[in-house]
Amino acid sequence: MERVLTDFVKALRNANVRVSPAETLDAMEVVDRVGYGNKDLLKRTLSIVLPKTPEEKDKFSSCFDDFFTDEIKAAVEVDLPDKNQKANNDSSDLAKTLMEGSQAEIMLAIAEAGEESEIREIKYFTQRSVFTRRILEQMGVGKLEDEIMQMGSQNDGDTPSDLEQQLRSQLTGLRERVSDFVQQQFLLHGDVSGEQLREQVFKSMNMAQIDRSYLQEVHSLVRRMAKKLANMHSRRKKNFRRGKLDIRKTLRDNWVNQGILFNLRWSYKKVDKPKILVICDVSGSVGAYARFMLMFLFSLTEVVSKIRAFVFSSNLGEVTQDFKDAQLEPAIEKALQKHGGGSTDYGQALSDFVSLCLDDIDKKTTVVILGDARNNFGPEKAHLMKLVYERAKQVYWLNPEGKYRWNTGDSVMKNYSAYCTKVFQCGSIDQLERVIATLLRTAI
Amino acid sequence: MSDGPEKSIKEITEGFSKHGYICSEQIATAVYLASQLEKPILIEGPPGVGKTELANTAALHFQQEIIRLQCYEGLDESKALYEWRYGKQLLYTQILKEQMQDVLEGAKGLKESLSRLMDFEDIFFSEDFLETRPLLQALTTETGAVLLIDEVDKADEEFEALLLEILSEFQISIPELGVRKAKVKPLVMLTSNNSREIGDALKRRCLHLYIPFPEAKLERQIIQARVPEIKKSLQKQLVAFVQGIRELDLKKQPAISETIDWAKTLILLNSEELDAQLATDTLNVLLKHQQDIEVVAKEVPRLISDSMGSPSGKSIN
Repeated sequence: MERVLTDFVKALRNANVRVSPAETLDAMEVVDRVGYGNKDLLKRTLSIVLPKTPEEKDKFSSCFDDFFTDEIKAAVEVDLPDKNQKANNDSSDLAKTLMEGSQAEIMLAIAEAGEESEIREIKYFTQRSVFTRRILEQMGVGKLEDEIMQMGSQNDGDTPSDLEQQLRSQLTGLRERVSDFVQQQFLLHGDVSGEQLREQVFKSMNMAQIDRSYLQEVHSLVRRMAKKLANMHSRRKKNFRRGKLDIRKTLRDNWVNQGILFNLRWSYKKVDKPKILVICDVSGSVGAYARFMLMFLFSLTEVVSKIRAFVFSSNLGEVTQDFKDAQLEPAIEKALQKHGGGSTDYGQALSDFVSLCLDDIDKKTTVVILGDARNNFGPEKAHLMKLVYERAKQVYWLNPEGKYRWNTGDSVMKNYSAYCTKVFQCGSIDQLERVIATLLRTAI
Repeated sequence: MSDGPEKSIKEITEGFSKHGYICSEQIATAVYLASQLEKPILIEGPPGVGKTELANTAALHFQQEIIRLQCYEGLDESKALYEWRYGKQLLYTQILKEQMQDVLEGAKGLKESLSRLMDFEDIFFSEDFLETRPLLQALTTETGAVLLIDEVDKADEEFEALLLEILSEFQISIPELGVRKAKVKPLVMLTSNNSREIGDALKRRCLHLYIPFPEAKLERQIIQARVPEIKKSLQKQLVAFVQGIRELDLKKQPAISETIDWAKTLILLNSEELDAQLATDTLNVLLKHQQDIEVVAKEVPRLISDSMGSPSGKSIN
């Protein structure tokens, strides 16, 4: 019985629900009380003990439904009693089991064959069909099929015999059951590495090449990464909590010492949250990167007090309000649609930016520019960069192109980078995360 | 084996409804588990779905005292756990000065005086001078209690760490007095509005209950229990209307408490039926942001007709 629960916990972990050993123990205690009898009750109780956030509860719910099917229950009841008795399956055995055996016996046979075929090794979802076939072969389906074929050929009439028909339908049932079994085992043993692998690929992949159909997944990945960063930096706040003596509090707390100031009280110093201005090039080639950049930054609003976002291809426009009002995804779409496309003009964008919010730049402001600095041989107006650089705390330039391509063709990177505190190459999500970590560290 | 819990859960549901709290099976299960496992329970959900009310009702149901600790930024142990009564200590030392003289009379040198003093117990750091605060109070009651730690997300992270010992061991260490263990373990409920992510360590020690906005049927039952004088037809219409509003994209969704307020308002206005004019006029009871009111005002006619379209008041389930 306990194995079922630990298996379920394992499946939950695969589905990205964090379950600690202590919580597993809690779950066992709970299950002792409510039993496996009432599935609804079991689900309700476990959903109180195991998942600890609303999102996790959703995942729990679907995971539970996948896991606690009737087959599993049958397996719970039988729990592999006599493993070695049925060592050699030959065809007549299989036919016999199919025709006469109980559900539990068939399940048992499948589980045994699964064990033989090392189903535990399953890692990727593409392996499911392979394992299904392997298990079926292990059970002797090949021979059974031959037998049915023979029966068919022996029978001259058009209508197949009852036995043949029955065997055929049993066989179809068996196939379905085996594929369900493999699916379940995959949920248990696979997936994790599948997901991890996918995440790794996403992280290190060039952002422009991530297919649009994966956006949802990448978005949740980015959100998780942003959350990690946010946590890290909200904890950092505590270090700032000293410095100024709080006279009122000190006097009040120390009157018990007859007014002698033994225990000093410090006023908690509010941390200056950084102000960030982001300028994104959203013209054809760089638009994809801007999407992830904005995604990342607007997932960070907890730690950053003020973000203003501007996008441009030729003319520059502010999109901050769109992001505040709407969901992230449509806001990005809207920004890209409104300002994207067209040929890039960094000079024009810079002068727009300067006239729009030069006054807003002060010594707490970090200016981040994302773009490839390919200016179509137009006027680059680098003196405006200088103006911004002198007023801001720091100016970062993120270039999605590989370093070897900077300053080739119409790229004027070197003219701008003179007025940047730091220049980063920023092509993959991994790199983006690193840049933003630096940004948060230095911007405060 | 599985008969016991189902029965107790049903009892809880019924007991709660006697006190005017209609709870879903999920909530009843959580309360049952918390009382059985003697584990604290962390309740999350949007504001106004009855998190605090749940604790109050639990106290009524189990006939125990409710001890409430409201959390806020800067809450520390002297406000939550215990504090020495400094004033009383000072006063008593002054009053007892002469007695001290008697005790010390005839003692020669510092050493002897000190050893004489040592013979007396640490009277000034005893229970008499201890001001108990909610957390300690909950541990010391003889009859058991429901301890409600409200809006734990508003307190600092340090405070969470302070809670760990109490929540897992049901004990508090006071340096001067030693470890105080709970005589009767209280039923602990923590609520959170998720303004800040609660730490994993705390979450791990708690059961976790998420209360979402109720479904139409449950909400109707709640309204019926809370505002019994309302007509069934109006009640159905009202709930359908509110459920419709929740599907819109709003800054703050109306919660149950707002629905109840609105129902009361409509009773006060002697209205028999909900119409567009009435709904528009009383929207400010339901919605707390001007922007939201503007959004909803545009949708009122549609919502009204939708709520009329739902099964009429005659067929009551």
